[in-house]
Formats: sequence, C-alpha cells, structure tokens
Amino acid sequence: MNLLRSEWTKLRSVRSTWIAALSAVAAGVALSVLGVSDLLGTSPAELPQGWDPTAESLKGFLFAQLVIGMLGALSVTAEHGTGMIGTSLVFVPSRSRLLAAKGVVVTGVTLLVSLVTTVLSFTAVQVMLGSAGLPAAGLGDPGVVRALAAGTLYLTLIGLAGVAIGSLVRSATQSLAVLVGALLLVPALGPGLPGALGDWFARFWPITAGQASYAVVPVDGTLAPGAGILILAVAAAGVTAAGHVVFRLRDI
Amino acid sequence: MVKDLSFTAAPGVVTGFLGPNGAGKTTTMRMLLGLTRPTSGTITIGGRPLARLDNPAREVGALLDARATHPQRTAFHHLLAFAQTMGLGRGRVDEVLGLVGLSQAAGRRTGEFSLGMNQRLGIATALLGDPGVLVLDEPLNGLDPEGIRWARTFLRDLAREGRTVLFSSHLMSEMELTADDLVVVGQGRLIAESSLDEFVRANTVQAVTVRAAAPDELAHALTRAGAGVSVQPDDALLVTGTDTATVGRIAAAQGIALVELARVRESLEDVFLRLTDEVTEYEGQPA
Repeated sequence: MNLLRSEWTKLRSVRSTWIAALSAVAAGVALSVLGVSDLLGTSPAELPQGWDPTAESLKGFLFAQLVIGMLGALSVTAEHGTGMIGTSLVFVPSRSRLLAAKGVVVTGVTLLVSLVTTVLSFTAVQVMLGSAGLPAAGLGDPGVVRALAAGTLYLTLIGLAGVAIGSLVRSATQSLAVLVGALLLVPALGPGLPGALGDWFARFWPITAGQASYAVVPVDGTLAPGAGILILAVAAAGVTAAGHVVFRLRDI
Repeated sequence: MVKDLSFTAAPGVVTGFLGPNGAGKTTTMRMLLGLTRPTSGTITIGGRPLARLDNPAREVGALLDARATHPQRTAFHHLLAFAQTMGLGRGRVDEVLGLVGLSQAAGRRTGEFSLGMNQRLGIATALLGDPGVLVLDEPLNGLDPEGIRWARTFLRDLAREGRTVLFSSHLMSEMELTADDLVVVGQGRLIAESSLDEFVRANTVQAVTVRAAAPDELAHALTRAGAGVSVQPDDALLVTGTDTATVGRIAAAQGIALVELARVRESLEDVFLRLTDEVTEYEGQPA
C-alpha cells in the first residue's frame, strides 16, 4: 500500500501525466468526430455494407492509444532519464515490487482515461449520427456494451504495455518510436506482406487482433472479439514480463 | 573499475572518500547501495544485504546525484513520494525540508533549482528515514561558499549524533575542514586510510623557507650540514630535512644575517596530487 501511494504521488505530481490524460481524451473524441463528419451529408441507403456505428465511433483510438502508451512509458523513462531511479531503488531495493507498483498505478489511471475516452467518443458520435438521421447505436443494442468494455480494455492494455516498453528501452523517444511502429506502422503495412505472412498480420498482430474486439458487426478476415482481446492481453503480459526481467538484470 | 577495495567508515565521525575523477568512488558507492553489481563478493549493511532490509532507507540514506530529480516535480512531492515508501507522510517531509533550509522552496519545481538547492534536496532525501548511515556522493559539489560552510557544519553535526557519514569528493580542499577520517582511492585501489590528522602528518613534507643577506653562503653551509636546499626564483631558499631552529643555528655559526625564516607545509592539495599522480587516469598534456 505504501508503494502504491508513493507511485501515485510520483505520477500525479508531474504535469506531463495530466497533459497526456487530457490529450488522450480530447484527441480520441475529436478524431472520432472528424471520422464520421464526412458521412453526415449521405443518406442511410448510401452507407457502406456492414455499417457499424459503434466501431465507427472509436476511430479516434488511432491517436488516443499512442498518447496512453506514452503515458505508461513516461512513468518509467522519466525516472531513468533523470537518474531518479537510483534513489527509488535505494528506498525500494526490490525491483519487482517497484515495477509492479508502478504498473498497478499507471493501469488504474489509464483505465479511467480509457473509459472516459471510449464513452465520450461513443456518445458524441452517436448524437451526431442521430441528429443527421443516420442509424446510430444505443447502449441497449446487442453487443454495444460489450464492445465499449472491450475498447476500454484495449486502451488500458496498451497503457500497461507502454510501462513495459519504457522499462525495456528506458528512453522516451525510443518508446515513442516503438509505439508508433507497433500501433500504427505494423497494422497498416503488415497485411500488405505477401501470402501467409500478410494474412497472419491482418489477423494475429496483437494490435489488429485487439481492435477486432470492439467491433459490433464482425469484419471479414478478423478474429472474434474474445479471441482478439485475449491475444492482445497475452502480448501485453509478454512485453511486461520482458520489461520486468530486463529491469531486474540490468545495472542502473 | 574497483578492485579489492576494503575500508571502514566508523560511526560518530565524518569519513571523507577522496580520489580523482574516475577513481571508482561513485562505482563503490553504487555497489554499496546495490545499484551496480560487483563481479564477485557481497555487500552487507549491518550484516544483511541491502535488498533484504525491510526499510533500507531507515538504515542507509543516500545522495547519488543531486541532479536526479524530475524537473516538473516540486521539492515537496519529490520527498513525499519517497517518504511514503516507508509509511511516512507530510510531517516528516516538512521536517527534513526545515533541516536543510528549503522550507521556503517546498512548492517550487526542482527544474528551477540551482545545483546547490538540489544538493540540499538530495541531503533531505537521504535524511527522510532518519538513517544511521549516510552515503553521500559529492554533496559539496556546486554549493556556494555559504552553502559549503552550512554543509560542513551539518555533516559534522550528523556524525556527532552518532551516525556514520561517508562522503566523497575529488577535491582535497573540501575534505580539509569536513572529514575526520580519510579514505583515498585511485584507479579503484586504496591509496591511504587513516585519520585526516595522521594523513597530513605522514604525508606532508616539512620544509623551511629562509631568506638571507648572503644566500649562496648559507646554501653551502646548509648543504654541508646535510639539508636539501633549492634556490627559489626570488633568492629565498627552500630547505628540507631540517627545522627552523637548526637553520637558525647554522646561520648564526656562519655569521649570516637572516631576513626571514619560516616553516612551510605542503598543502593537502599538493599531497593529494602527488599521491594520486601515478594513478590518475585522465591527465591533460602540457600545451
């Protein structure tokens, strides 16, 4: 409990935490709203096949996930960058306990940020769609609550993976590079690879798999929601384990 | 690189850990705190490895690098985060801020701090758990003259309370008025370990400077008497291997009038430079 309190003090007492939290929500909602705004003039009949207003409202995750990942990474890299990690380890020599406390506190904060981002994005977009006379989703519709919960979990897992990436590379700029690669580049370029490799990336790359979890209307060639979020969770756990091992073994 | 280094820092006194840059002082202190792993051997504090202690910061307080603070975080929150690991709260934070004279700056971000203020914050951090052992890496570095005087008195007071205080410096001048005991290292090896007074007595060369109406005559007489004599540019003689009384007697016997006769002591800085000369790793070439 003492350690959690300490890590919470560290996290809340730097401006960058709050800037990241606010920009994750603001950017996520804004991008989602922008994403549907060009559909507003169209008639319901013109909407593409498999219209999924829920998944459509979470398009802003594309950017929000990057900020949330960085929020996690910064909680570790800031200590390495300033050298404060040395002092932290004099107070808490058990590196596992220190990293675990950090992981728990960051996960708590990112869970909240993720929930707000998801709910606000969904609400804003559904209100826009409804007022434009387009089919919108409601919380009562089948699968919608499940999709919103999965979306929240998706962003939270990326925050946790961010902590692990920060622990692996120990630098903010390198963390950003890894996150941009894993979250944006690979999902965009991987499926274009030839043959089975491309198919694998389109289905099983943990980020792409995780994104399938918050669709209400299944998209061809992607995983089922449960399997998708499971793969992302396993991947996040794997990166966390790696970050933990490296933190234990390296000299500070 | 540190090899086979073994020394004792006793409670109740300030032990200065002296060596040129790159001598292994920081490495030794980091190993002591479990941050750098030695290739062999173990480090124990009170018989137990640091990692096994329930609340290590209650046993050992450390200042590793005064600049190692998050620039956006206030001094108060910096201390609070560490106090909370031991179940301590705002009360203790306010206390240590008062001890180091930073109460007024508690709410300021450490990014705005001078190096001297950061040193004070670092010492406050080390004191949070009220530990019996203090390990401070270059705590006087970056302090202004008033700050250095404060830190000296402060470190000596902490030792007088019965604590073990080990502090490092690469400047002999910082040791002279602060340390009781001295541990001198060079290239990771022990060069000397003794009390500061003993160190001075054992290593400083006693010399006599003398100015006479007839310097050449006196120089001959002194050399005949077995003393080492070197003529300084201003015609003063620097005499070693003897004392002022003997020099005066020899001059009187020869009927040479003396203008000046004084005892000189090699400064500690000179002693330190001479001792570490053979083991200095990085040295500038004369231009």
